[in-house]
Amino acid sequence: MTATETTTGEGTRRITTAKAMAEAIALEMRNDPNVFVMGEDVGAYGGIFGSTTDLFAEFGAERVIDTPISETAFIGAGIGAATEGMRPVVELMFIDFYGVCMDQITNHMAKIHYESGGGVKVPMVLMAATGAGYSDAAQHSQSLWGTFAHLPGIKVVAPSNPYDAKGLMASAIRDDNPVLYLFHKGAQGLVWMAKNPRSIAQVPEGAYTVPIGEAAVAREGSDVTIVTISLSVQHSLDVAEKLEGEGISVEVIDLRSLVPLDKQTVLDSVAKTGRLLVVDEDYKSYGLTGEIAAIVAETDPTMLSKPMVRLAVPDVPIPYARTMEYGILPTRDKIEAAVRELAS
Amino acid sequence: MTASSSTPGTSGVAIPFPMTSSDDPDAEGVVGTWFVLDGESVTEGQIIAEVQLDKVSQDVHAPAAGVLRHAVAESVGVAQGGVIGHIE
Amino acid sequence: MTELNQLDLYSMMVRIRQFEARVLNEYHADKSPAWDIGAGLIPGEMHLSAGQEPAAVGVCAHLKKGDAITAPHRPHHFALAHGVDMNAMMAEIYGRTTGLCKGKGGHMHLFDPENHFSCSGIIAQGYPVACGHALAFKRKGTDNVAVAVAGEGAANQGAFHESLNLAALWNLPVVFVIEDNDWAISVPRSASTANTSNADRAAGYGMPGVRVENNDVEAVFEAAGAAVDRARAGEGPSLLEIHTVRLWGHFEGDAQAYRGAELETLDERDPIPAYAAAIGLSDDQVADIQAEADAEVDAAVQFALDSPVPTADDALLHVFA
Repeated sequence: MTATETTTGEGTRRITTAKAMAEAIALEMRNDPNVFVMGEDVGAYGGIFGSTTDLFAEFGAERVIDTPISETAFIGAGIGAATEGMRPVVELMFIDFYGVCMDQITNHMAKIHYESGGGVKVPMVLMAATGAGYSDAAQHSQSLWGTFAHLPGIKVVAPSNPYDAKGLMASAIRDDNPVLYLFHKGAQGLVWMAKNPRSIAQVPEGAYTVPIGEAAVAREGSDVTIVTISLSVQHSLDVAEKLEGEGISVEVIDLRSLVPLDKQTVLDSVAKTGRLLVVDEDYKSYGLTGEIAAIVAETDPTMLSKPMVRLAVPDVPIPYARTMEYGILPTRDKIEAAVRELAS
Repeated sequence: MTASSSTPGTSGVAIPFPMTSSDDPDAEGVVGTWFVLDGESVTEGQIIAEVQLDKVSQDVHAPAAGVLRHAVAESVGVAQGGVIGHIE
Repeated sequence: MTELNQLDLYSMMVRIRQFEARVLNEYHADKSPAWDIGAGLIPGEMHLSAGQEPAAVGVCAHLKKGDAITAPHRPHHFALAHGVDMNAMMAEIYGRTTGLCKGKGGHMHLFDPENHFSCSGIIAQGYPVACGHALAFKRKGTDNVAVAVAGEGAANQGAFHESLNLAALWNLPVVFVIEDNDWAISVPRSASTANTSNADRAAGYGMPGVRVENNDVEAVFEAAGAAVDRARAGEGPSLLEIHTVRLWGHFEGDAQAYRGAELETLDERDPIPAYAAAIGLSDDQVADIQAEADAEVDAAVQFALDSPVPTADDALLHVFA
């Protein structure tokens, strides 16, 4: 669904990805007094990337809490509150800041349910901003979902559009497990950052869920499969639309969740097209692109009619200058070139 | 409906750029995002755009039900109080 | 404040000591002749709390059902004093399916949701989680409190500082307990900490801080009572540093060469016989109380030994709810 459709009345209600995720949080907060939000600048500011827009005005300081710069303390507090039956939505401002609080995330949030033999649940959402493309450089531009997907005990989701952003947030809040919800800054639809029109879309006003662990066939096709997630889905759809006109039919699989991973949808698509491109804004080595490759290889490598292509950020920190940054990101041009090569 | 627009040949309820900067009344803002496209129908109160002035952004809601007409494109400078569109 | 009952305090300390002594025995029994930390019916690391009973008993005497404790890698005394079932606890230490955590956690990762008790092997990381329990209590409008326990070495970890600030800022019902047993494994306090008392640090974070000397269970009881009452009354967090003694190694297998001459006189600092003498117990009373504790511990060990060992496939369960 693009932003160019003409519909009437309620059908023209379009919002940004940021507003959509905030709307999901608001609906859950209205429905369940146990849901509350914590993080830096989530209050009156609305989250620096708009994730908590309008929540403070509706729910106030008791349920939308601005924290000190104490990630270990407030993420740990979220964990403790969750074990007491509350449903915290905690924001880690940039996923890049994981270094100062990784222990609470992976040794506590992720492991308490397992360590307790299932006796203790941690129904918590940890949301964090990811993504590059606006020169925020090495410490503020990472994706890192590969790192977190690798460590057992955390569900990991990353929506690519407003509809999924709202539905996945609702699912994440209702899930009794810790869910890492990664939203791409470049897909939030912010007025102050270059945006793809796909970051603005129709979203139903009421509450609904998008299941965690299910990929979406964002676009059906028959010649080449692109498996991807987050902002790269938008880029891939742009490329697919363009190449349709040239007779190249691209199927775009939006993974939406990395943990659990919907392997079947991936395998079905690769079985159909035989040509696989994985686009990942995270670092290349030891990550998502390798994971998809392994899944195909260990299922049936003969389903590939050509070697697969991995398009990811090379194993370098994200550079500052625009030419360099865009030199390493999986841009539309690179996606297009890879698809053409596969289709040839 | 009253014809209160400044654009010749257009009737309907005008939608002004909502923000004012007390520092500089001549400062221009932009429509950052049109949520509703030119020619689409809206209900009263529906969110139609997000505008930005001086790093501060704000939502604009439809003052009436009807068909939205854009007067400016995204990212084009608009004076404070200037008309960004109409509801016909 | 709860009324001080000397016999109750003494009996609970004995119960803990007899538990620890039995675990010590069982832990080492099948790891000879060569020391193999992974061998035996109780494998892995073992951190026992002998000597630190007054801290747990003095604090937990003021706690009620619904109050939370986050404990560190040396958790047994707080677990038992807070009402965690001894059988389930022993079974967990033996890694059995009837254990608190079905054998998933082991001695450092004891979780008892019914008693809001948890522990973690990562230094100081229980402090933030205690803030979370307290936040929930405050939101729910109960007068429950959260007790966070750590050692003096932990007071130099970031989580300690962040948690104190957060609890004071948000006026959370937390009692931060520091067990100062002089040693962070082999590093004495003088080599780790610029302050001589964490009670001084408390003031820097906007909360009252008290340091209790001499490993005195009644002094702990008094100070803890004030801190718990404060928290229950909605007056916010406090810090309670207890100078205690670690009678055995940091972990079992610790040769403790670094303690030097101190080892020779350690037994003189054992708080349990000292308290028995202080409250004038007869030899018969001491023997009876110990026998009662031993009987309970024996039953717990037997329960553990009779319980099933988890299968390999059991390892795949409980990642997610």
